[in-house]
Amino acid sequence: MVNGDVKREETPMNSAQDMKNRNSLKGKIVLVDGENRKTIIDLMKQLLEKKCLDAILVPSQVPDTDSYTWLLVQEGSLLDLCDPLPPVMTVQGGKALSSLTKHGEMEANIGALMRPCEIEAVVELHKLKQIDLDHIILFSIDCPGTVPLSDYMRDPQKMAENFKESIKKWGESESLRPICQICDRFSLFPFAPSSPKSSLSQGGADLPASDIHIGLLGGNDEKIFLWPVTQRGKDLLKKLDLSVHDNLEVWESKVEEVREEKLKKRTAFHDEWSTKIKGVDNFAAIFDECINCHNCMEACPVCYCQQCYFDSQLLTLTPEAYLERAQKRGSLRFPLDTLLFHIGRMSHMALSCVSCGACEDACPMSIPVAQVFTAVGDQVQDYFKYVPGREKEESPPLQIFLEDEFGDVETPGDGLETSHGEAKENV
Amino acid sequence: MDTEFKPNIVGFLCNWCSYAGADLAGSSKMEIEPSLSVIRVMCSSRINSNLVLSSLLWGADGVLVAGCHPGDCHYERGNYYARRRFALLKKILEVLDLEPDRLQLSWISASEGKRYSEVVNTFAEHISQAGPNSLAHNPKV
Repeated sequence: MVNGDVKREETPMNSAQDMKNRNSLKGKIVLVDGENRKTIIDLMKQLLEKKCLDAILVPSQVPDTDSYTWLLVQEGSLLDLCDPLPPVMTVQGGKALSSLTKHGEMEANIGALMRPCEIEAVVELHKLKQIDLDHIILFSIDCPGTVPLSDYMRDPQKMAENFKESIKKWGESESLRPICQICDRFSLFPFAPSSPKSSLSQGGADLPASDIHIGLLGGNDEKIFLWPVTQRGKDLLKKLDLSVHDNLEVWESKVEEVREEKLKKRTAFHDEWSTKIKGVDNFAAIFDECINCHNCMEACPVCYCQQCYFDSQLLTLTPEAYLERAQKRGSLRFPLDTLLFHIGRMSHMALSCVSCGACEDACPMSIPVAQVFTAVGDQVQDYFKYVPGREKEESPPLQIFLEDEFGDVETPGDGLETSHGEAKENV
Repeated sequence: MDTEFKPNIVGFLCNWCSYAGADLAGSSKMEIEPSLSVIRVMCSSRINSNLVLSSLLWGADGVLVAGCHPGDCHYERGNYYARRRFALLKKILEVLDLEPDRLQLSWISASEGKRYSEVVNTFAEHISQAGPNSLAHNPKV
């Protein structure tokens, strides 16, 4: 079970026309026994019983409460607590999984069932060497979104109801988090991510990172679609005696339909936010209420540094230095360095931002952090032609380079007389 | 007021090329704008975006990052990484419309004293025309 031996059978294609022309994906259609949740749990139970997995990390409801948490389950019967699609995202799955492999790889095979944005965070952490994926099998699931954590805490019953409604309408609900309402990566897509890749990034095929995807769209609570993405995924389904020859066309076309809607919404979002964040006054106004608690950073799955620069003593200055700054501005605002923190954090993680919304949920002041970071993140990811969270073997953009690129950020370009040409030849 | 304005520019110069280039410019008695405060770093890739951002937010009117020409890095690849980081930071400032032109990345080798003085003088002139950095003077920030 190495993760390098993964090959997709079809050739990657990009345009919508190609999507229509290509063969549909093959997988297993499972008839739902009672409800989706139960069917998925049964599947997980079988994986544990047949020793395909030693343990599985699943989102679960804490007994007799309204809270949700992650459980690393070894005893099959405890899987009954599992809720594959909880109404809220309490702790981002990437964060939960990374604590498991902090001390290097494991011998045991562990499964993890997560939402697509959590899988994407896992992949980013893998690239940043924070998660060892060798013995981890990832299960992703179609995700309608979640409701804001604060709304849920205020009225769990009502928000859980709203969430159930939103599953029926698949994401078309005002109760969902704004960032979920514009999420175009709510499922796994065989081809065509929203931004194309180019030579700026390394890596092979544009392969979704999950091993098995659980498709719910188009199943009408009567069936679920299992798409084994990788060879590991296929092997697992084989061990469960599930043949993978069913046509997944129904799921695929529904996913594509929803995705088109979501993409429209995301474009509208960018139209709105690209002006909202522009200029120092506008940008500062968004973070006016920031209390510098750094919860957004703590909750962010891709903010992985053990010691954050912004929590360090490096930013504390002498009283004289503060007075000097106060003099320059007329006054100095406390808490200090709010914008430095947010723009600085952005410059560290915006390329890896998977728009999971954990930051916004964590903000006690209801600042639309995730929306701001997505508005910026999408643009810089486009600029670097990078789609975070997709290809496991791809390097993060700041860890690679091409010799001849980004020439336009250098000054002077070709204007001044220099020995630049010679310098190059001398290498 | 603009004619009175004396900009405050921070220059992060790599030890092996640009700093030596600055040294050469100095010892060759070239005219160099005095508004640039030089900070010597071992490599342009040592420059974290935080250093640049805190310079801008704490009062610098411009920031110059200078390193070895591509292919000439003392550590072989440092300047390539620096270029990507710089491109990212500049893009973020562009997206946020926070005066990205106050940042400049230049390649200056140890033998390019003349280029050093030209780069610094041109950048200082540009920043003088741009005026004081609004990020550093905005009481809301």
